[in-house]
Amino acid sequence: MIHHVMGVNGFYPLLMTLWLLPLAGAVLCWTFGPQLKQLAGWLGAATLGTSFVLTLLSWSAATQNSGGALGAHQSLLSWIPGFDFGLLLDPLSLIWTFIITGVGFLIHFYSIGYMHGDKAFARFFAYMNFFVFAMLTLVLSDNFVGLLVGWGLVGLASYFLIGFWFERPSAVAAARKAFVINVVGDVAIMFAIFVIFTKVGALGFGDVFANASQLGDWVFVVCVGLFIGAAAKSAQLPLHTWLPDAMEGPTPVSALIHAATMVTAGVYLIARCAPLWSVSSDAQMLVGTIGALTALVGAILGTAQWDIKRILAYSTMSQIGYMIMGVGVGAFEGGVAHFFTHAFFKAQLFLGSGLIIHALANEQDVRRMGGLMKKMPFAFVAMLTGVLAICGIPGFSGAFSKDAVIYGALAHGHPWLYAIGLITAGITAYYMFRMIFLTFFGSYRGDVDPSELGIRHPELAGTPAHDEHEPHEHDHAPAWIMAVPVGLLIVPTVFAGWLMFGEHSWWSQFFSAQFAPEHTVATPVSDVMTTVFAVAAVLAGFAIAYLRYGAPAAMEHAIERLRTETVRMPGALANALYFDAALDALFVRTSQLLGTLFGRLIDPLVIDGGVREVALSARWLGTLVRSFQTGLVRAYALILVIGVACFVAYYAIAGGVH
Amino acid sequence: MSALPVSLASYIGLSAVMFFVGVAGVVLRRNPLVMLMSIELMFNAANIVFVAFARAWMHNAGHIFAFLVITVAAAEAAIGLAIVVAVFRSAKNVDVDEVALLKG
Repeated sequence: MIHHVMGVNGFYPLLMTLWLLPLAGAVLCWTFGPQLKQLAGWLGAATLGTSFVLTLLSWSAATQNSGGALGAHQSLLSWIPGFDFGLLLDPLSLIWTFIITGVGFLIHFYSIGYMHGDKAFARFFAYMNFFVFAMLTLVLSDNFVGLLVGWGLVGLASYFLIGFWFERPSAVAAARKAFVINVVGDVAIMFAIFVIFTKVGALGFGDVFANASQLGDWVFVVCVGLFIGAAAKSAQLPLHTWLPDAMEGPTPVSALIHAATMVTAGVYLIARCAPLWSVSSDAQMLVGTIGALTALVGAILGTAQWDIKRILAYSTMSQIGYMIMGVGVGAFEGGVAHFFTHAFFKAQLFLGSGLIIHALANEQDVRRMGGLMKKMPFAFVAMLTGVLAICGIPGFSGAFSKDAVIYGALAHGHPWLYAIGLITAGITAYYMFRMIFLTFFGSYRGDVDPSELGIRHPELAGTPAHDEHEPHEHDHAPAWIMAVPVGLLIVPTVFAGWLMFGEHSWWSQFFSAQFAPEHTVATPVSDVMTTVFAVAAVLAGFAIAYLRYGAPAAMEHAIERLRTETVRMPGALANALYFDAALDALFVRTSQLLGTLFGRLIDPLVIDGGVREVALSARWLGTLVRSFQTGLVRAYALILVIGVACFVAYYAIAGGVH
Repeated sequence: MSALPVSLASYIGLSAVMFFVGVAGVVLRRNPLVMLMSIELMFNAANIVFVAFARAWMHNAGHIFAFLVITVAAAEAAIGLAIVVAVFRSAKNVDVDEVALLKG
């Protein structure tokens, strides 16, 4: 078999360095944490900043195109001949690396302020750097096994960071839930890899995609296996339930891992395996549909949340639904574009919410906010630009990428997904402006008795304030540390979309060699009309949010209205459409039932029973043989004589036969 | 002068009789001393056959084996008598049927 490698083989020290630097940072922060103290944060941010610069320096290597070989490929070690582990930096992984190190650097920087005074400051940065290393392993690996290793490691890092405040039982439970659901996905990917290896006999991306035809009908099975993994990691239905709970982690973690980078690994996986998806229309249909439904369900659930971070979590789920829908139907450029802009504006929204949470001493319930515009104008501007971007107001980054995804669904022959995408855009505008109105407009409700707002158990409503990590007034880090990253993120949040503007945009030039030309169908409406529809849906959503939360009439009786809404919240929305309960009944209960069955029946009867039978048969044999042990010497002698007689008789007869 | 030639079959017959007398002594008697003597009888039955065949086939291996058997018999008698003495000291009894500590 000819060995196919994607990318131009060569020696790329910058690539190796940018990959390993975060690991070095993690080891240093972990080993010398007590000595480094506050320096650990600066060290963690510095390694990422350096990695980011190296990423920029590797730009030309990543985009080089020599005779079909796209990007830079660096062999690292040979396993069994034919199975090499190496790094691959092509335009696709370059975009991810750019976001991981760039946005990652800003979030690390922000964390120096946000985590200031936490007793496990160095441990936080060790975990964060470790996460970045794992994520880089995932996107830079040139083969499926390396990808799976990175895949597992980011899950581990996510587990560490969700459960970072492990004194809180809810954080530990959330971490465990995230890990278990992610392992379900890992196993599915492993299964897909087994099928690939059995059918193709190779695991490098280049080899597999060059010989994808050998998969035959199994390509659908492989796609489904990979997609289950993507769904678990990227919070797609029905494996999304861990993501809202993951908000138990510190806010920078939510921004980096559970918004900008890790949860988009599923999008990367599908975009990376584009050659497999393009030959399986069934897989495209399945993934596109699940993505669209996830976008819709996430948006619907986003309308019913009171915790500001849970609102953002459901919006993340919804936006990743868009991305998955995009790459699922075959609009790879659009899906990846939405990842790119989403990373900026969602990090922006999370970091902005972090400013509020930090200032309000860990209050996360929007019912207890309100009127913060005057107190925190900077946070307001930051959040507002993020919201305008996520809603897709033309000119802001989200508009270009989201409309590309929605229109892509239509162009690839999925009018239903197109419709769902437009409806979701409207709902997105509704819940996002609901959050803005509740947080920044009206009057401050933090001093109102929680029960008047309908909050029955204040300690359960949001994430409780904690003395251990709550920064003390006199111990604040300088405010600019948290403000600078947010301010810097405003730039791409607003402008990044212009890269995707126009017929021959920079973006489509950038990916022209990455993805095969897409087979589109004639569409009844143009992409410009799509934008008009989307804006109409957004305006409708905004109008409803304004009438319910922003209009003067609504502001006047805000407290009573919030109480009524809380009390009268439909059960389905209050319980997140019963997904948790359904998964609990289907899998957790059945597992427990199976466990009980095995514990009560299989274990005592088969396992214990088998062991007992062996013991009993030994005893029975012993009883039998014991009866020969009469203790009578003469009896022994008789047996001896009989034995000898038998021998003699045998040889006498056998000797005669000879 | 040569003695009346004795046929090989006669030696084998004598040996067989001696051997089964010995077997009967071991199996039927309860006195360990008599049992030991019966075992000696069986050894010597074997010796007679060895020597008879050695003479019949003019081969010395049989003689050598007879010496070997005598040696083993001596050792056996020594050990057997030692056991008898030890048993008698502890059990005050030399009836083998009464000495049945190993009964299962």
